Amino acid sequence: MSAQIAGLALAIALTVVGAIGAVLVREVMRAMISLGAFLFGVAAMYAYLGYSFLAVAQVFVYVGGVLVLMVFAVMTARRADSERPALVSRHDVGSAAVAAGVGAMLFLSLRTAFAGSAVAVSANSSDLAAELLGPRLVAFEAAGVFLLVALVAVGVIVKGGEDR
Amino acid sequence: MTSFLLGLAWGIAGVLVIAGGAVIGVWWERKVAGRIQLRYGPQQIGPAGSLQMIADVPKLLFKEDVVPLAADRPLFKWAPLAVFAPVAAAMAVIPFVKGWAPFDTSVGILFFLAVPSLEVVAILVAAWAQRNTYSALGGLRAASQMIAYEVPRALSVAPLVLLAGSLRPVDVVGSWRWWWLPLLALGFLVYVIASIAEMNRGPFDLPEAESELVAGYFSDYSGMRWAIFMMAEYGAIITASLFAAATFLGCGWPFDGAVGVVALIAKTALLVTVVMWAKWTLPRVRQDQLLRFCWTVLVPAALVQLAIVGVVLPWL
Repeated sequence: MSAQIAGLALAIALTVVGAIGAVLVREVMRAMISLGAFLFGVAAMYAYLGYSFLAVAQVFVYVGGVLVLMVFAVMTARRADSERPALVSRHDVGSAAVAAGVGAMLFLSLRTAFAGSAVAVSANSSDLAAELLGPRLVAFEAAGVFLLVALVAVGVIVKGGEDR
Repeated sequence: MTSFLLGLAWGIAGVLVIAGGAVIGVWWERKVAGRIQLRYGPQQIGPAGSLQMIADVPKLLFKEDVVPLAADRPLFKWAPLAVFAPVAAAMAVIPFVKGWAPFDTSVGILFFLAVPSLEVVAILVAAWAQRNTYSALGGLRAASQMIAYEVPRALSVAPLVLLAGSLRPVDVVGSWRWWWLPLLALGFLVYVIASIAEMNRGPFDLPEAESELVAGYFSDYSGMRWAIFMMAEYGAIITASLFAAATFLGCGWPFDGAVGVVALIAKTALLVTVVMWAKWTLPRVRQDQLLRFCWTVLVPAALVQLAIVGVVLPWL
């Protein structure tokens, strides 16, 4: 077994185990760690496929941003004394059916959507920059302005809350 | 399989370098602190107290490893390693010689900046696993500080990427010229300050304020697990200094080859000393001052540096 296959197997195992754990583990913090393992596994898959920029961005944005935000929320959530925050659902079967349905729908639609057209992809970060700052410059700038406006809005709202 | 074994060997080498660096760093910090505050520091064991570091290691190894009753055992036990691992991983992308890095990747600089975010998660988990209000507070403070200072840190490195035209650290070192020093002086200053805050060192050491929060997010750790946290902290100092010496200060410049590596180590040691000097001379800042300083001073300063490089770039 070559190193690459071993790496891919490890990435798949991390993704699957993390995904299952994130759904089934009852303790919130452990579920969060499973989610982190899943996100890290996805980054490892990107790295295996040669998209090193995407892999690092995945770690940066999802593990460093989204996951930290969720862990923050768990830590600041109110909890009963000497009891760990736990997830309890009364709709196990129903939610599993809905999740399976959504997954199947996504799989089928994505498979047919990209079946005919070969999407041009490049593993290189400089190609990505040329693409973003060349043909897609307007969309890129619009997204930037939108995010800036959102950031300023958050600042204004928070400031208003302080004054009240 | 060979690449896997090679990676394993590099991993072990990195851990050994950081562990050794941490042991020497503790001794050096005591000496620096002693000299700055007009006292001697360690001086009894060996010449200039240098054997003190050998005495410290067995002491930590043989201390009892206490796990609090209420703690979440598996998380408590594994969290220190998860805090330490990203520090060792970040070292892999640093070019030690012109044209060579242990892990030479086209997104190396981004890798170096992204890896501490794994550390933030690990610190939060460690703080939570102790089931202790003070640790949780320390963990939340550490995380908020690390996330906030990631922004100016990343911005301060961006001018380097612009000048080199590449995210590969080896390319940055390759295209480095001496006049980058005055051009990037502001960015370098922002990088050093943001890095000190990122590694939770004084004067930004609120998360682990020994006297108020009893070492903050690792207050319930003892023995070797506590030592791993300290190793992670000293490892972060060494890694951040090594990165700055390699990219901002031109790796081995003005020398090449083996002498260049010595020059790189000397520059790193100088930066490490500056970090320690800052800790032992400057008073600690308050949490709100810390975050305000980040968003109103450091981020604009980094943006100014970025603008300067952006204006100069077409004429180069």
